[in-house]
Amino acid sequence: MDRWVTHVSRSLARRTSRRGFLGRLGAALVGGAAVPLLPVARAQAAGAREPAPGEPDPTSPAGDPNSCEYWRYCGIDGFLASCCGGTHRSCPPGTEMSAVTWVGTCHNPEDGKDYVISYNDCCGKSPCGKCFCNRNEDDKPIYYPSKSNDINWCMGRAGVVYNSTTAIVLGVATEPDR
Amino acid sequence: MRHTCGARIIGLLAIVVCASVLFAPAPARADLAAEPIGRVEPLSAPGPHSVWVSDGVNERIALVDLDTDDMRGMVDGGWGITAGVFTADGRIWIPETHYSRGSRGQRSDVVTSYGPGSLTPEGEVPIPAKRAINVLPVGNAALSDDDRFLAIFNMTPATSLSIVDLERRSFAGEIETPGCSLVYGAGARRFLMFCGDGAALWVELDDEGNAIRKIRSERFFDPQVDPVMEKGVRRGTTWYFPSFEGLIHEVDVSGPVPTFSEPWSLVSDGERAAEWRIGGRMPLAVHRSSGRLYALMHQGGPHSHKDPGREAWVYDLERRERVDTIELRNPGLTYLGVSMEFGQGWLWPFSRLYDWALSMTPLGVASLAVTQDDEPLLVTGSEFSGSLAIYDARSGQYLRRVITGNMTNLGIQAPYGGATR
Repeated sequence: MDRWVTHVSRSLARRTSRRGFLGRLGAALVGGAAVPLLPVARAQAAGAREPAPGEPDPTSPAGDPNSCEYWRYCGIDGFLASCCGGTHRSCPPGTEMSAVTWVGTCHNPEDGKDYVISYNDCCGKSPCGKCFCNRNEDDKPIYYPSKSNDINWCMGRAGVVYNSTTAIVLGVATEPDR
Repeated sequence: MRHTCGARIIGLLAIVVCASVLFAPAPARADLAAEPIGRVEPLSAPGPHSVWVSDGVNERIALVDLDTDDMRGMVDGGWGITAGVFTADGRIWIPETHYSRGSRGQRSDVVTSYGPGSLTPEGEVPIPAKRAINVLPVGNAALSDDDRFLAIFNMTPATSLSIVDLERRSFAGEIETPGCSLVYGAGARRFLMFCGDGAALWVELDDEGNAIRKIRSERFFDPQVDPVMEKGVRRGTTWYFPSFEGLIHEVDVSGPVPTFSEPWSLVSDGERAAEWRIGGRMPLAVHRSSGRLYALMHQGGPHSHKDPGREAWVYDLERRERVDTIELRNPGLTYLGVSMEFGQGWLWPFSRLYDWALSMTPLGVASLAVTQDDEPLLVTGSEFSGSLAIYDARSGQYLRRVITGNMTNLGIQAPYGGATR
């Protein structure tokens, strides 16, 4: 049953044309009870990995860039580029990173500091359909663009076709997030 | 002996009768007439319980009759969420974005029109390739109240409006709106926009579609403290916008400038303490003639403004009081237009097994709408399913599920059966 549900949800997700919707469907179909376990299982299956300097243990959800609980994803709304051929800092092959985006502030549990995170979208290919995350911390409506994750940030030269999202550290947050 | 002979005769007669029945030539029946190839149904006038439902996967809107459960037809859009704009003459206008090679190539933005009684495109108006694309089913295009001009929100990320003259079927011009986004109808030649500092921008057009006045109001909310959602509904000359914390901001657009009433709360202090919040993709609907407001409510934390709802709370807009609560069912799960529903004919409690299974997933209600007739239906949908759940909007009684044929039901528009504004 789980395999069928997973197949259905992935098939749906592959056909999505908007950021988000069917990724959440996948998350929904897999089953609420199972969802929290998946990142852990994935992290364990990945085997031992060395933590990047200043980053949390990659075998923990807060340190796994393929987990929605990864610390940088506190405000994300989209498919993780790290699950789609890219990394949390780079876009999948053949896509183009949006030049403009919104920024959030996330707390790094490893060093206890808050960082400004830039959620640049990867554009030019249809939605990835894998690892949809929607945490919405500090998200604001569209009329407040610098804080809105409902905007498709694929625009301008990169085109409007959304694929996935990165989470890039811009620096330490030096003042309250407003 | 005589008896035996009579029986033989009767038996023989029976055989003859049966044989004549079995082997007699069939009575002549007329052949089926040859049928014409290429016939396409016209679109009959949609009834009051017809709704257009946006599909974020198939990039279209589907017309569904909620009384007969029939999908009546569909209109394809382009990249982004497809949403219709409906004029009083029965036309549908769709802002669209396309690329010459699917997901790449030359971008072209157009407004495509569909005449009454037809879902065949009757024409299109090219517009600047700047149309904003986001996850909102509402607020990206608006009609002037006289149906003359269509305003389309642009974001590059510089913000502006593209104005289309629907009478002349031409692009009338672009209006710069720095710092202000989205667009809502607000009078014969007026539009309302939200600005990033919590103010409203008032854009007034002349007969050529040029901006003759742009007025920026005082701030009527603080987006840093309690942002107002873009997901508003209109009744007459008043727009109702909910805030993240459940305050309703009323914007009166009847005068020369917009006016703002003191916000009122959807939730009591106790309900707020219990973390009842409004949330979802289309969390608000209004039945205009009765003045009933429907709000999609859930219990959640401060970042849950997009979470699906568990209940629809019903308010009397005149008294600004809650008058009813409708416990919502999951709209149901579909795959490729097929309902996954099972067990409805089983014995209780097994007949509720499907509802129970759905209640265990976050496949919840993200959008609601209400038809505008005198026997209104409340329509709820999920962004992860092609199924709608239908309720009697007056009693709150759950009626049934309706399959739209969509992969997702992202937005629901109910433009028939009553006032459209």
